[in-house]
Amino acid sequence: MENDNREVLVSVKNLEVTFTNGKRAFRAVKNVSFDIYKGETFALVGESGSGKTTIGRAIIRLNSTSNGDILYKGKKINGPLTKEEKREVIRNIQMIFQDPAASLNERATIDYCVSEGIENFHLYSSEEEREAKVDEALSSVGLLPEHKSRYPHEFSGGQRQRVGIARAIIMEPEFIIADEPISALDVSIRAQVLNLLNKFKKERGLTYMFIAHDLSVVRYFSDRIAVIHKGRIVEIAPTEELFAYPLHPYTHSLLQAVPMPDPRIEKNKKLVVYDESKRDLSGEKPVLQEIRPGHFVFANEREMGEYREKLRKMEEENGVK
Amino acid sequence: METNENLFEFVKVDATASEHIAAPKYSYWKSVFRKFFASKVAIACLVISSIIIIMSIVHPFISGYSPLITPYVNKPSMWYLPPSSEYWFGTDHVGNSLFDAIWVGTRNSLMIAFVSTAISTVIGVIVGMFWGYSRKMDNIMLNIYNVVSNIPYLLLVIVLMYALGRGIPQMIFSLSCTTWLGTAYFIRVQVMIIRDREYNLASECLGTSRSRIITHNIFPYLISVIMTAVSRDVPSFISYEVFLTYVGNGLSEQNASLGRMVQRYSAYMSGSPYLFWIPVFVSALISVSLYIVGQTLADASDPRTHMV
Repeated sequence: MENDNREVLVSVKNLEVTFTNGKRAFRAVKNVSFDIYKGETFALVGESGSGKTTIGRAIIRLNSTSNGDILYKGKKINGPLTKEEKREVIRNIQMIFQDPAASLNERATIDYCVSEGIENFHLYSSEEEREAKVDEALSSVGLLPEHKSRYPHEFSGGQRQRVGIARAIIMEPEFIIADEPISALDVSIRAQVLNLLNKFKKERGLTYMFIAHDLSVVRYFSDRIAVIHKGRIVEIAPTEELFAYPLHPYTHSLLQAVPMPDPRIEKNKKLVVYDESKRDLSGEKPVLQEIRPGHFVFANEREMGEYREKLRKMEEENGVK
Repeated sequence: METNENLFEFVKVDATASEHIAAPKYSYWKSVFRKFFASKVAIACLVISSIIIIMSIVHPFISGYSPLITPYVNKPSMWYLPPSSEYWFGTDHVGNSLFDAIWVGTRNSLMIAFVSTAISTVIGVIVGMFWGYSRKMDNIMLNIYNVVSNIPYLLLVIVLMYALGRGIPQMIFSLSCTTWLGTAYFIRVQVMIIRDREYNLASECLGTSRSRIITHNIFPYLISVIMTAVSRDVPSFISYEVFLTYVGNGLSEQNASLGRMVQRYSAYMSGSPYLFWIPVFVSALISVSLYIVGQTLADASDPRTHMV
């Protein structure tokens, strides 16, 4: 596949994140590995509490990691870093938060919110340049320079999320972690925000890690998808590949949960609820293995056999069609 | 019906039109004052407390009153004069005008209350913000707080006053010696509530330093809470001063204060009750009106009240 000669921007290797509460430790992320290539949109999909936000926050250093490496352009960015290295990480990696109402400082003007990052790094030589940069960032997300003196509570949800995007974009990052950027938004303005993100991707060659639980959005938006379940990646594949050949039963049930806009199909649909306890988990410990080029699935040797069989059947079915 | 295309024309769509905000510009302090002046009780209390404060600052310069100057001490015709047009609040047992005495006393009492409040608020807020933000500091400070808050406050103040001697600076020190810890604890809880909110994480992702997060992200949220603490502290310090001096442990003879007057004139309660009741009334009036002003201001400075 073409993946071999593409530049790896972020590489996560055997990542483990543990939260401790007194004596009790909870491993939110277990042995997660994946690569994000430059210029692609990598989606992380899973149910609530599966650890997808935790992975995003571990990359941007908000959560500390208990094991494993996170490499950015080959350099390790988790664990203790010098001040300079930390600043370098912040300059290059930015985050868009889920809830635009909670992630903006309500007591600060939009001007402050947007220019917070460039002020921290003095990315301007004069006050005029700072203002010009803020104006440019605001207009690039479709807001007006006159909004600068306003406060976040005066804006609609979509506008607020665009302020959140503007303050990430103004830092001119290479990699953006979008943590469910449209989940808290009105359905009518979700497309607006997604199109905005796509526009920046095209214009500036950005790389996204898109954290979501809405598969229909992910299908539209991303190039590759990783499905995560209980802190483990169970399947990674290019978007169309995953939708055509979902191999892991969890992926299958997740895809099935997407509602179809046809009442007859919906009525006759038999929902498969994924239940790990009912699965045959015999055999050695499963690992993430490549089953087709670029398509990885979490399985042991016995399961790999089953999946190969399943894949063959699916391919036949598609071939017949 | 036939449609005639000529009747229609293309309309230019202004993409920015939907982005305009029609609401008038929001200004935090303007909204605070608008909200504050919406309350008639608060305005009345503000007027009363302003009159008392201004009188207590200005009038002592005119009267030059001091409890040690007693020109009519040997002139019994000047003693115990009831309130009249000449002596508004009457005269006391040495013939001094109570009206003059009241303002000097109020000035000292208010000064003690305001300075003690300022000290305990400034120290309390600064310590409380770092206390709430740093988990390491929390362990140490929590132990200190537990020990200190278990010492009866009044006992501590009385012991300190005995050790330091009587006087205004000693009184201010004793009163604010441990109260800042209470304010700090109060602030700590508030900081802990807003510390882990998402907008602080967002600031961290933008490289904002911790001290800047404290001053720009957390402090503005505390204004209302600080106002509440101040409006609670000022009246309590006034009443502590009155009480301590009344039990003979506060200010000395040379300082006039509301407490001193209550203590000194309580002996004449049956003969000249106005001597006792007027200082009591003034101290109650200033305490209550300052409390209401402070509480209304605290409510008004909470932006959640601005939207309605």
